[in-house]
Amino acid sequence: MRKNWYRLDTAALIFPATARRDWCNVFRVSATLTEPVDEVTLQQAVNDLRPRFPSYYVALRKGIFWYYLEETSSPVRVTRDYAYPLTFMSSRELRRCCMRVLYYRSRIAVEFFHSLTDGRGGSVYLANLLARYLTLRHGLKVPVGGLIRDLNEAPPAEELEDSFLSNAAPVASPRSEERSYRLRGTREKDGFRHLTTGIVPTAALLDLAHRYGVSVTALLAAVMAESIIAMQDARCPRRHQRPVKITIPVDLRRLYGSRTLRNFSLVLNIGADPRLGDWSLDELCRTIYHQLRASATPRHMAGMIAANTQPQELIALRLTPVFLKNLVMDAVYRRSGESGGSLNISNITNLDLPAALLPYITRCEFIIGPQRSYPNNCSVLSCGGTTCINMIRSIRESELERRFFSRLVELGVPVDIESNRR
Amino acid sequence: MYCVRCGVRLQDGTEFCPLCQTPVWNPGADRPEPGFPESLPPRHRESTLPGAIAMTVVSVLALAVTVIVCLHLYGALRWGGYVLGGILLFDIVAVLPLWFEEPRGEVFVPVDFLAAGLYVLYICRATHGHWFLSFAFPVILAAGLLTTAMVCLLKYVRGGRIFIFGGFLVLLGGFAVLVEFFEHLSFGTRMFTWSQYPLAGFGIVGLFLLIAGTIPPLREEIRRRFFF
Repeated sequence: MRKNWYRLDTAALIFPATARRDWCNVFRVSATLTEPVDEVTLQQAVNDLRPRFPSYYVALRKGIFWYYLEETSSPVRVTRDYAYPLTFMSSRELRRCCMRVLYYRSRIAVEFFHSLTDGRGGSVYLANLLARYLTLRHGLKVPVGGLIRDLNEAPPAEELEDSFLSNAAPVASPRSEERSYRLRGTREKDGFRHLTTGIVPTAALLDLAHRYGVSVTALLAAVMAESIIAMQDARCPRRHQRPVKITIPVDLRRLYGSRTLRNFSLVLNIGADPRLGDWSLDELCRTIYHQLRASATPRHMAGMIAANTQPQELIALRLTPVFLKNLVMDAVYRRSGESGGSLNISNITNLDLPAALLPYITRCEFIIGPQRSYPNNCSVLSCGGTTCINMIRSIRESELERRFFSRLVELGVPVDIESNRR
Repeated sequence: MYCVRCGVRLQDGTEFCPLCQTPVWNPGADRPEPGFPESLPPRHRESTLPGAIAMTVVSVLALAVTVIVCLHLYGALRWGGYVLGGILLFDIVAVLPLWFEEPRGEVFVPVDFLAAGLYVLYICRATHGHWFLSFAFPVILAAGLLTTAMVCLLKYVRGGRIFIFGGFLVLLGGFAVLVEFFEHLSFGTRMFTWSQYPLAGFGIVGLFLLIAGTIPPLREEIRRRFFF
C-alpha cells in the first residue's frame, strides 16, 4: 500500500532536532464528559476521523536531508491514561505514531508531538473527536461549521499547507534577545509531571481583565510576571537580576486568515525588567498588553516568520545531512529558542463547541509540557463559561503555582484547585 | 472547602493544599476521586542492543582479519598483536557498556584504565622496554584514580559541580607535573619543561572556578552560561 507523506512545516522542523532521551515537545487537549468514556466507541470515533485528518495519523521518519511525516499503517490505539499527562514520547514511539488518544474515567485526551500541529489545530481535532464520539454514543446530529468538519469530504489542501511559506516577509527580523530569568527547583528523577489545574469562571476573569483595560492573556501574563519577579527578588539582589519574560504563542491564523491545521503560530517574549525598579500589577498589565498589541501584527510577525523560512531556502543548508542540521538547529534553539523566556503562557482562548455538544461536556483543558531548560509552563483554555488554567512542572516545588493562584484569589477571582499530586 | 493560606477552593476530602501543602481540616469528607490513575508510564529507554551487536560483529571481524592476515604473511602475530590489543581496548571502552542497560561509570571507568594498563604492559613487553613499572603504571594509576573520583563525585554528590570541576582542573595541572616527574625518573629527561604550562593553565581556570563557587552571583552567571 502506498503511504502518503508530508514535509514538516517550518515551525515543526525544530522539534525533532531538539528532542532528547528524556524530553520532547508534546502538548495535550482534553475534554471531561458528564459520563464515563466507552473505550470501544472512542476507538471507533478515532478510526472514523482518519480520512478527514490524515496529517495527524502519521509517524516521524528520517530522510537523508530532512525529517518527514509518513502515514501510519496501523490504527491509532486508544489507551488508558497514566499518572501524569504528557508522558515522554520516545523516538521509537514517534516512529510508530506522533499522536496518542487516552481516556480515564470521563476524560478523553489527545496528545500531539508538536511537529504535527499546534494548540489550535489540536483543539479542532478534539472538537471533531468529541462530535464523532457523542454522535456514535447518543445519536447526536452535530451541524458542520465552525470547528466541526464534514467527515465525508476530503481534507482541503489549505488545511495541509505550510502557511509560513506564503506569509514570510522579504526581510527577516533579528532573533537575538537578552536571556531571561530562569526558574529552578528539584527535578523529579522519574520524569513525573505535576499538574495543577485552576478552574475559574471565565466571566470573573474577563471582568478583572476589563478592570485593568487589558486582554485575559495579558492579565495572566502580568500576574505570572509579578509572581516570578517576587520569586527572583527572594533569591537574588536587584542588580544581578534578569528580565522576566513570558513566552506567549500567537495564533497566526487570525492574522493571515489561514485555515491550516499544521503548525502556524509563533512566540513572543514579553515582560519587564526588574532592574528598572518596582513594577505594580497595573504597570505590568499595561506594558505586557501594549507590547503584545504592538508585536502581534501581520507585518511584525511576517518578519519573524522570514527569520525561520529564509535559512530553509539556502541550497547549501538544504543539502546538509539531517544529523548535521540537527546539531545546528539544536544550537540555535539553545541560543534563541528558549533562552528569551522564563515561562510559557499558551492561551488558545475559547473552544467554541457546537451547542449540541455542551450538555455532555463538563470542561475542556489544554496542557503544554515543561520546556527543555525550564521547569514550569502554563496553558489556558476556556469552554462553556469555565476557564482551565493548567500549570505543569517537572520539579517538586510548587511556589510559583501558590503565588500565581493566590494572587488571582486576592484580585477577586474564585479559583478551584485540582492536582495530580502523588 | 478552602485553603486557609492560599484562599483557593479545594476538592472536598483533599488532605493537603496542593499549592502550599497546608493540611486541610475537613472531618467526614471522603477523599476526592483522583483525576489521574496511579499507573506510571512504561519506562522508555532507547535500546543500545542493536548498536552493541553491530559493533561487536565488526570488531570480531576486524580481529579475525588481523589474525588471518598476520598468520598468512608471517606465520606469527608480529604487528598484529598491537592491532588486536587496540581493538580489544576499544571494545572494552566503547562497546562493552552498550551491552548493559544502565552502565555504571564507577565500574566501567576503572575497568577501562585497567584494560589500558594491560595493553601498555603488552606493548612494553613486546618492545622489550623497561618503562612500564617506573612510568606507565603510576601514570595510568593516577589518571584512573582521578577520573574515577570525578565520575563518582558527579554521580553521588548533589550540586557543587563548580567545585568538582574546579578541583578536577587543579588536580589535572598537578597530574601533568606528576607525568613529567615519572618521565624524568624513567627516561632521564629534564624536569619542569612542558608541565608548567598545563599546570598554570588548568590551575588558573580551576582556582577561578573554586573561588567563583563561593560567590553566588558569579556562580549563577557561570551556571547560566554553561548549562547543558
